Amino acid sequence: MNGPITGRSLGLLVCLACRATVHGTPAAHLRCPRCRARLHERKPHSLAITTALVIASAVLYVPANLLPVMTTREFLEADEPDTIMSGVLVLLHSGSWPIAVLVFIASIVVPMLKILALAVLLYSAWRPSTRRRQQRSDLFRMVEFIGRWSMLDVYAVSLLATLVQIQSFASIIVGWGAWAFGAVVVLTLLAARTFDERLLWDTPRHD
Amino acid sequence: MSIIVCPACDLAHRLASAPATGRMRCARCRAPLQRPENAAVDTAIALAICALVLLLLTNAYPLVTMQINGSSRDTTLIGAALGLYAQGFDSLAALVFLTTVIGPLLQIGALLYVLIPLWRGRRAPGQGTVLRVFTQVRTWSFMEVFLLGALAALVRLAKFAHITPGIALWSCVLLMLCLSELISITSPEQLWRWVERSRQ
Repeated sequence: MNGPITGRSLGLLVCLACRATVHGTPAAHLRCPRCRARLHERKPHSLAITTALVIASAVLYVPANLLPVMTTREFLEADEPDTIMSGVLVLLHSGSWPIAVLVFIASIVVPMLKILALAVLLYSAWRPSTRRRQQRSDLFRMVEFIGRWSMLDVYAVSLLATLVQIQSFASIIVGWGAWAFGAVVVLTLLAARTFDERLLWDTPRHD
Repeated sequence: MSIIVCPACDLAHRLASAPATGRMRCARCRAPLQRPENAAVDTAIALAICALVLLLLTNAYPLVTMQINGSSRDTTLIGAALGLYAQGFDSLAALVFLTTVIGPLLQIGALLYVLIPLWRGRRAPGQGTVLRVFTQVRTWSFMEVFLLGALAALVRLAKFAHITPGIALWSCVLLMLCLSELISITSPEQLWRWVERSRQ
């Protein structure tokens, strides 16, 4: 036998829910004997589903950054719409640059990095090569790790919009940018979940 | 002699005996292979009860109170989700509610439901299903992210209003610490180890 000895070559499946090692060939409706979770050799349709999710989140990334996430309405003053970037600038001007940097990284850098990283991973899973596989695996783990942090701005907006509702004096209105932004976060979280890391390591077949 | 397969790259490892301590990593992709035995059922139950109390406190008291021009407003954790709902953003409200209230509640509830009978040497009905649901929702609480988001919101408000942190903000910090420890000692492998031991 050539190449590394893998679960696939030995006819072993690993249950992703409870980590049990199970003997068996992948058949329809095969379930883990220990926790009854569905067993697959690889996550079914991983590439197709992940690609769809990544494309959807890349599309929504545009309105998430261009549309206002919230609008401040003050008595006798013009409405003041805030996009994610202008929110960062407001924080910067109010003298709290550590928070501004934090929001900038969590809301602008992280989602972009996630979408780009997932695109790179999808490309390399489609065209498996044995070069720099470790780095790609690390890249995937980074995507999984940083994923949740982009929710930060959604929480900030929800608190602001709830607190600042002072009758006719000042109020904050949530914008569709926040909705698009929340959708990007959820879609990229799902994409990281549907992507099967093992595809990065499967040796290309030469037959 | 047993064989474990790396869930991240499918490489098979032959194992003479599971090491009692230390983290085992895959020889090829460095993913954690099997988390070591790192806690007792009692510890997990104690932490889960602690987290439950903190979760109740966090939801019962206001997070922050804002005073501006003589009028004051406050909000609870659920209030933040309801604020979005009131403005017609149902799905966004659901997302916030799910990740800050329902997620932690499901995690803690599922753990207590399975672990308390285990600790008394019994088996909860539907144990397998509950554990499977738990492995799905175990990463769904975003408490630490919520806290930093709250910080960012409060910094913006502090410029033109007087902000008083409420009891819930402090209990939320404790809840975050408690949950992260709880999650780290209740990996699926560890939970199933406890289950299998109770069967013997």
